[in-house]
Amino acid sequence: MDFDKIESKEQLDQLAKEFRYIITDIMCRAGGGHIGGSLSLVEIIITLYFRVMNVKPDNPRWADRDRFILSKGHAGPTLYTALAYRGYFPKDVLLTLNANGTELPSHVDQVITPGIDQTAGSLGQGLSCANGIALACKLQNKTNHVFCIVGDGESQEGQIWEAGMFAAQHKLDNLVVITDYNKMQIDAEVEKIVSLEPVVDKWRAFGWEVFEMDGHDWDDIHATINKAMAVKDKPAMIVAHTVKAKGNVCYENRIECHFISIPDEDERNRVIGGVCALDDDEPFHFNWTEGK
Amino acid sequence: MTLHEKELRAVYTDTLIELMTTNSKVVCLEADLGKSSGTVPRVWDAFPDRFFDVGVAEANMIGISAGLANEGMVPFCATFSPFATRRAYDQITISIAYAENPVKIVGTAPGVTTAKNGATHMCFQDLAIMRAMPNMRVYCPADVYELRSMVRYMAASQKPEYMQLIREVHAPLFDDSYEFDPHQARILDEGADVTLVTTGLTTQFARKAVGSLKQEGIQAEHIHYPSVKPFDVQTLLDSVKKTNAVVTAENQNVIGGLGGAVCEVLAENYPAKVKRLGSQDRFGEVGDVPYLSDTLGFSAPKIADACREMVQAK
Repeated sequence: MDFDKIESKEQLDQLAKEFRYIITDIMCRAGGGHIGGSLSLVEIIITLYFRVMNVKPDNPRWADRDRFILSKGHAGPTLYTALAYRGYFPKDVLLTLNANGTELPSHVDQVITPGIDQTAGSLGQGLSCANGIALACKLQNKTNHVFCIVGDGESQEGQIWEAGMFAAQHKLDNLVVITDYNKMQIDAEVEKIVSLEPVVDKWRAFGWEVFEMDGHDWDDIHATINKAMAVKDKPAMIVAHTVKAKGNVCYENRIECHFISIPDEDERNRVIGGVCALDDDEPFHFNWTEGK
Repeated sequence: MTLHEKELRAVYTDTLIELMTTNSKVVCLEADLGKSSGTVPRVWDAFPDRFFDVGVAEANMIGISAGLANEGMVPFCATFSPFATRRAYDQITISIAYAENPVKIVGTAPGVTTAKNGATHMCFQDLAIMRAMPNMRVYCPADVYELRSMVRYMAASQKPEYMQLIREVHAPLFDDSYEFDPHQARILDEGADVTLVTTGLTTQFARKAVGSLKQEGIQAEHIHYPSVKPFDVQTLLDSVKKTNAVVTAENQNVIGGLGGAVCEVLAENYPAKVKRLGSQDRFGEVGDVPYLSDTLGFSAPKIADACREMVQAK
């Protein structure tokens, strides 16, 4: 599907279907991956890269572009798929995920991957970097926006809250942060480990304008991000209610979905089947040879 | 007041103000120790829009600096050396060094110069751990002229860099014409009896040691390394080929820092006997600089003793 043809909800649904298949497929081919936190972000990242952000794929470092920092860097495969669909690099590069010598490592890397604005992967750091980027954009009188996605488990890092205080102190209203609140982390449910609740009240108490949205509802995502971008004199936080491993019945909303291992062909077929099973009609299969 | 009568931190602040005046990309960050670095209140007053005190949040300061550098700004961020390095080591590793974001990190009050703050604030491993980080450069200026030139160099460099900053007054070693080159060690005295390798504070101590050795007829070749990484290999090898005896002295643990670098280079290129002075793998304590440097074994008399022993053992 070409970017300039995306207009309807049906087309967005088709794009999300293709994303989920590709993300699952490239992870399976790579022998495993962070499927849960990648699939929970499909609609949000599609919305950012296809409906919201002002970027130029043929000039990834264009000075006035909107910036995106994926602080939960392990969701790289979803971002890579968006970058490939937007034309930052050919789609078949996605097949090199985690291969020896790849440009697409498990965690996002600003040095080796076209279109990645900030290296991330060691959790808790990306929001501080987003602060610095937002600050630099303001110092240079840019009118762009800086988007950042943090994980819910990641929000147990103290540095997230250091960054939260700083962004409010300096009124970084060009910063829009989304918490991927899929409510699970590696060892168990966030609620069972160290609860973030009341997370909305916490961010509000930190001086942020806070919104909630259904992270899989196109209209809600688009409208909420637009509202967040319009906030003045304070940073905006969107708590996105999402489902971990959304769209793959083998792993959806299951604790073991954070990182999956694919030891053999049988397991690969099972997991690929899991992403196709939710299709009402013809299951989607991406043909890598034809690129569609 | 002439330049060399000033405290080093005042010269750091003067140089930052000079750079911020001519380059709108230069920004200054502190983590509630700006009064110690010297930037509060002077830089804050002079450039309120480009001065950011992040509060007591070093990891956040490193991340913010990484983001600023990512956007082409030139952030100088400073705090006490333990907090500037070991406290935020993973943030520096990933957000700065691995990501190739050219942040300028300044570690103040290094080693024994934190004095009465004691062991909790006395970092003896910043040179070692920063040196072990790919993409990171590691500098220790020994006087005001070198410091000023180094800060100017860092503002123009596209590399992540760490610099130790001693706050107090140092005796002048160089002059206005000094130009810092990280690939060039400085031979402060020539001699054929023993090679004496120092950096930062110990370069100051070693000047006195070299003077007293001369009176005894011992000619030490004193080499000051303003950059511990990159390390000027050739100057060391040329000297050791003459002397075949080496003493290193540093305001650090002997493991992994300047002495470690010297031993690595010699072991691979020209094996020679080396005596490493510095903390012998122990923590610090409260005290003044003369007491601490002597107790830990790298004061001027201790440096002279080590050189004497190396020459006698030949």
